Amino acid sequence: MQYQSQAVAKPYFIAAIGLFVGQILFGLIMGLQYVIGDFLFPEIPFNVARMVHTNLLIVWILFGFMGAAYYLVPEESECELYSPKLALLMFWVFLIAGALTILGYLLVPYATLAEMTGNSLLPTMGREFLEQPTITKIGIVIVALAFLFNLGMTMLKGRKTVITLVLFIGLVGLAVFFLFSFFNPDNLVRDKLYWWFVVHLWVEGVWELILGAILAFVLIKTTGVDREVIEKWLYVIIALALITGIIGTGHHFFWIGLPGYWQWWGSIFSALEPLPFFMMTVFAFNMVNQRRRNHPNQAAVLWALGTSVMAFLGAGVWGFMHTLAPVNYYTHGTQITAAHGHMAFYGAYAMIVLTIISYAMPMLRGRKAANSGKSQILEMWSFWLMTVSMVFITLFLTAAGVLQVYTQRYTDNPQPFMAVQERLELFYWMREAAGVVFLIGLIIYIISFFAGSNEPEQA
Amino acid sequence: MPHLDNDRRTGQNLAVLAEALYIANLLLIPVIGFAILCYLFLTQYKQAPPLARSHLEQTLSASLWIAVLFTVFAAGILLLKNFGMEAVSMWIIIILVFTMLHASMVLLGVLGLAKAMAGKCWRYPLVGKTLPDNCSRYDKV
Repeated sequence: MQYQSQAVAKPYFIAAIGLFVGQILFGLIMGLQYVIGDFLFPEIPFNVARMVHTNLLIVWILFGFMGAAYYLVPEESECELYSPKLALLMFWVFLIAGALTILGYLLVPYATLAEMTGNSLLPTMGREFLEQPTITKIGIVIVALAFLFNLGMTMLKGRKTVITLVLFIGLVGLAVFFLFSFFNPDNLVRDKLYWWFVVHLWVEGVWELILGAILAFVLIKTTGVDREVIEKWLYVIIALALITGIIGTGHHFFWIGLPGYWQWWGSIFSALEPLPFFMMTVFAFNMVNQRRRNHPNQAAVLWALGTSVMAFLGAGVWGFMHTLAPVNYYTHGTQITAAHGHMAFYGAYAMIVLTIISYAMPMLRGRKAANSGKSQILEMWSFWLMTVSMVFITLFLTAAGVLQVYTQRYTDNPQPFMAVQERLELFYWMREAAGVVFLIGLIIYIISFFAGSNEPEQA
Repeated sequence: MPHLDNDRRTGQNLAVLAEALYIANLLLIPVIGFAILCYLFLTQYKQAPPLARSHLEQTLSASLWIAVLFTVFAAGILLLKNFGMEAVSMWIIIILVFTMLHASMVLLGVLGLAKAMAGKCWRYPLVGKTLPDNCSRYDKV
């Protein structure tokens, strides 16, 4: 570790992994509720399990991004973090606010939670992924402002690089677009429009900048390829991400009451959205092929390459599968969307956070560059178990989705929703089994932090 | 222009072009991409340096195997249809198998392109021809 203040990243990474475990446990609970409807009812109803599953995902990814930024910016800027104390204070504020929110979801009926937290003063609750009480949302804004201030001041006093600039633009975008979650118009069409401004412009817009910047940082460090080469690739990738992603928002406007021209704009631009992910895969493999040295942390290189491939498959291929308006007419809101969501989130964002954790954690724990061979072998096992099981989860959900579209929407005699759900049961069971393998992979991932900790580093 | 001379000697540009055409055939310009790749193979192969020759061979062979795979797959589907397979089951198989096959072939193309850009040889698993011995001599280390 080159700068002492990079150490503030460590609690962020630990919290991210802890919340990741929670997310997977609730995913498994929910997966079981698809086939055993009253499993854990009334203690954890399906809607609550789903809310906790998706909210934990967002929060742990945000913890991961923050940890990544606190690790990466001092090293790139070649100076200590402006205020490590502020970073630690904000860590606890975010963690406590997050934990209280999740406890609120689990212990109190949602309507009561809204009442308790004064939602009527500024109503923002009740929208998918943005279910957090208004007071939590205000807390998130405060944490984000302090975080950006801390990073911005660090960057101002130090070296300016393309990586920190792209990362910072991505993080500012993340904070700015979150502000649309406070805008909650009565008109349902406008409500959905602004809701997508948060959800879509995060995951198919500014988050891609954060992903690109972190990937570029890890590749510079692990391959030794010239910074200039990697920066040029990064420019092209983020340009493509923004050109396709911003107007690509239109693929969410097909059926929510907006003008019909969005079917053209949305289809054309979102059909191009796989391009930045395609470029990212070429970029990652090209850099590794042109490497000037073999970095001892092979697990981090594996995660970096895996991120590019899985992001291309999940966000690119599975996104394209149902993005054209004539196809989306039948597929929107089915298990095909769930298949895409699972692989895209894991491939693009979960894996990039695991990449930076894999790269940074050995140094944060006092090693020179990498963990012991034993630890890395376990980590690579966890990589394959989690990644392969995610591929299977996606395939089973896709199969379920095709069956659902065919029997519920495409046919002349559409069957009722619940009748179709019964027909999907086999796929749901297979998805649950794949989910269990994913959990085993995650447990092995956690064990890898403790295994071989007394052994020397991999050379 | 030492850089251009080096490209001409190793055939790196031609190797990259071959891989790009292989991917274009799968993603953007099916058939046309393959036709241009065939033209390139017929006109450039003999005088091309080993690196370019290897990539031309690999991409052409992989493209041909893909055509065979998809034909066999289509024939299999038709056969299943004739045996009275339920339409919905057929669609599940078509969408899953096609997506997996197609995405895998594209990803292999990406690996090949990355190798070509790095001036290295690359063999497509299962469908690629064995690499010639003299190929690795031109690899940049």
